[in-house]
Amino acid sequence: MTAPAAMTAAHGRPILEIRNVTKDFGGVRATDDLSLAIAPGELHCMIGPNGAGKSTFFKLLMGTIRPTKGEILFNGEDITRLPPHQRARRGLGIKFQNMQVYSELTVFQNFFIPLRRNHKPSAMPGLVADILDRIHLSGLEDELVRNLSHGQQQWLSIGMSIALEPKVLLLDEPAAGMGRDETQSTAEIIKSLNAEGMTIIVIEHDMEFIRNLSSRTSVLHLGALFAQGSYEEIETDDDVRKIYLGKV
Amino acid sequence: MTGRADETTPVNSHAKIPFGFLRLVEGPQTMGRGWPFWTGFAIVILLAFLAPTYFGIRPYRVNEFIVSGFLAASLSILWGYAGILSLGQAAFFGVGGYVFGIIGINLFDATGNTHLALAGGILAPTVFAAFVGAIMFFARLKGVYIAILMLVLSLLLETFMLQTADPEVYRIGEALLGGANGLRPASDIPSVAFGWGEAVAEINGRREGFYYFALTLLIVVYLALRMLLNSSFGYLLVAVREDPDRTETFGYDVRLIQLAVFCLSAALAGLAGSLDTARINRVDPELVFSVSANIMVVIWVAVGGRKDLTTAILGAITLEWLYLWLTTSGSPEYATLVMGGILVAAMLIAPEGVFVWIGNRLGRLFGRSRTPAAKAGEAHQ
Repeated sequence: MTAPAAMTAAHGRPILEIRNVTKDFGGVRATDDLSLAIAPGELHCMIGPNGAGKSTFFKLLMGTIRPTKGEILFNGEDITRLPPHQRARRGLGIKFQNMQVYSELTVFQNFFIPLRRNHKPSAMPGLVADILDRIHLSGLEDELVRNLSHGQQQWLSIGMSIALEPKVLLLDEPAAGMGRDETQSTAEIIKSLNAEGMTIIVIEHDMEFIRNLSSRTSVLHLGALFAQGSYEEIETDDDVRKIYLGKV
Repeated sequence: MTGRADETTPVNSHAKIPFGFLRLVEGPQTMGRGWPFWTGFAIVILLAFLAPTYFGIRPYRVNEFIVSGFLAASLSILWGYAGILSLGQAAFFGVGGYVFGIIGINLFDATGNTHLALAGGILAPTVFAAFVGAIMFFARLKGVYIAILMLVLSLLLETFMLQTADPEVYRIGEALLGGANGLRPASDIPSVAFGWGEAVAEINGRREGFYYFALTLLIVVYLALRMLLNSSFGYLLVAVREDPDRTETFGYDVRLIQLAVFCLSAALAGLAGSLDTARINRVDPELVFSVSANIMVVIWVAVGGRKDLTTAILGAITLEWLYLWLTTSGSPEYATLVMGGILVAAMLIAPEGVFVWIGNRLGRLFGRSRTPAAKAGEAHQ
């Protein structure tokens, strides 16, 4: 089951390819010779214990930090040295682990920033209504964002990323801090976006949530790719269970 | 203001409405809208224009307040809207003032006007800001580092200008930099003058004419800035203030947005500096580059309300008035102390600004919704 070396996605040419990426912070190696390929339309989960390098991996993908060595290819183009805004323009969307919404603006105004680049103002009300429907926030256009619940703000953050119409959407702990029902709804939102054809990578440490998504899953440990396979394979892997319990 | 699709925000379609852009004069990024605000605005403007004739105000003093309004606006758009605190805003004010004076001394006799001096007084700090800003923002400096760097820059300019007394070395054409005494010959520093040949109107900085001119210009700049802040650019500024990293992930080069507002802010400060030099025909290092010159701007804007253009300008005018009253009412030695006390009190009682607090309550009185900044202010009180 495990396939930590350079690998090819199961179906088609990869839309995102990470080749032997290493990231050092001083003497600490946060990402260790990581290679991974994501196919177009794939829903891919990444799990790992705290400190495994999951969030660092997303920061490397988005360009907020740059790798010490290795390269990242998006649609075949080397984007390793591109700044974040250039990556976003090429079709990488992200929701980082923290909330990242504009809390002093209304829900509608929050969408103005991601929509402004590609759409006329006259088209925005319809587009916003459509996105809000997809993220379970219909009718909340005029609500001040900091009045929304934690879960609603998480969905809004996902919705703002969707507004960019990304080719690949990166979601860092989209269900963090949510209750059971909200977590379930979040999983449904992600699955429906994927069903529409969006390539999505999800970082999460809630195994229940990952089980719900039931997709190809990679396990990170100490910055390296530790294991990869279907959720069922990962769940029954003794080594994976051990690293979660701190025995490896 | 809620930013609904049917309101006057840039998220609406005004493309087919003639002069629809004028509607941007009100919107979610600026406090005040509808008849209550604009009626109050008109009354204040009317009173201001009648003040020299009917209320006996002395333009020589009041002109200073108006100039401070431009400077407060420059820091408000930079700090309040874009989230970039500069403790050295007076550096651009000073560069503008010196360049206006230098060009004025050299060209006024030949041209009879101050067109080039004013243009230089605005352009020079803008170019200076583009240079400094490009280094700061592309090096990804942020927060307190920018604030301190700008203060140090202003103090460096002060230190340099203080040692420019030697007339043989530090002269630009007819203008002598003059060290601590300031630009010389002071008698050749012009007030503002417009026109060509026989049709030149010179506006003495100590007379009513300058008051009407500066007040009109402040109103025009204020309305233009309101439109800018309620446009897409204003939204981007607020987005950069709220979360620059997130804004970058939406495909915006945040560094360029920061650089643009930094340059715009410097241009406004340069305009203020030029008007100040024209107002008193004087500019010296302590007046424009010192710590107190820089900190006063921060106090005006913080006390008035940094996140709104109107409140920042009102803060500057009110505090300058108060400062003048304190320094001329027999206890000038306590004036700075009182100003500091006002800042501390305002930060404790109305951290988003005194005029934001007042505007918030007036808005409630007239049943109007408020700006996000005002709502945030309410949450803190």
